[in-house]
Amino acid sequence: MEAAHAQDTWKLWFEAYGPKLLLCARQWTRSLADAEDVVQEAFVRYWRHQRQLPGDPQALLVTSIRRAAIDHARRESRRAAREEKADGGLAEREAFFAPQLGEAAERRREIEAALQRLPGEQREVLVLKIWNELTFEQIAETLGISPNTAASRYRYALAALRKELKPVHHG
Amino acid sequence: MDESLQQLEDELKSLRLRSPSPQLVDRLTSELAAETEELAAPVRRYTTAADFRSWPWLGWRAAGAAAALGLGAGLVWVVFKAPPAAPEPPARLAVADSVPVNPAPAMERDQFRPVAATNVLYDLKDEGLVNVDGDTPVRRLRYRYMDTYTWKNPRNNSSLKWSVPRDEIRVLPASLH
Repeated sequence: MEAAHAQDTWKLWFEAYGPKLLLCARQWTRSLADAEDVVQEAFVRYWRHQRQLPGDPQALLVTSIRRAAIDHARRESRRAAREEKADGGLAEREAFFAPQLGEAAERRREIEAALQRLPGEQREVLVLKIWNELTFEQIAETLGISPNTAASRYRYALAALRKELKPVHHG
Repeated sequence: MDESLQQLEDELKSLRLRSPSPQLVDRLTSELAAETEELAAPVRRYTTAADFRSWPWLGWRAAGAAAALGLGAGLVWVVFKAPPAAPEPPARLAVADSVPVNPAPAMERDQFRPVAATNVLYDLKDEGLVNVDGDTPVRRLRYRYMDTYTWKNPRNNSSLKWSVPRDEIRVLPASLH
């Protein structure tokens, strides 16, 4: 009974936060498959050993994911470099966002391409702020930078996207 | 933030994120299955089954309870100066004030008998890594239980309940994690 409850609890939790964590992991990995490996490693570690800790679980998990991604990158760097050379790098990456239809699909691709062109340090702040809903203080702690730096990178990222993307006019 | 950036921010927030694949959920399920099974049925260092006949500790605890009852009975006798000619059995003296309900058949013995035992796990803490024997890292888990034992006298339906908090510390080799 308790086991079933625990199972339900993590599944419910993962259903709500899994997509955000996956997108977060994608910023620090080369492919969706790598991102899923990293999310798995970080989530299992969190659920087994860290969920009793005080603080915002989302921020704790993001930190855990970043560490797992760094470890993963160290382990996989040689293999990934070979694959990237063979496949042309970007072709290996899959979409950040769920597929959409019609004009929305085209817009999503534009946004995604613009995100890919952002400097990594700006993109990670944007992802943590917009889709993981962390505060600048939490982002700063996760990335080891000051809150002011996090806020500036966020503004630069938005400005760069604004420059690349045409505004959408509704109605 | 100007209006166009605010509009862009709103547009980005409205994008639907890609969900983790079902394969990832399956992998998590199998990895966390061991965790949930352990939570449901923790391996105990000793048995605390509900069937009192399997209690390995019954002997000395029952003896302790009998001694406490005997002491209580002695005190009651001293305080109320009961006639020395008719001392009552300790079990009855300890519950002398209780009202007998449902008079039991004469064949039932006038003494307390263990009838139930429960233990409730009310807290589980991972205390992190510690070193034992100098340099062996282990993970220490603290399980906190409330054990409750019940005795009953079938002759007069009086009962005695005893709750004892208990901490159980388990160490797991760090290499398992």
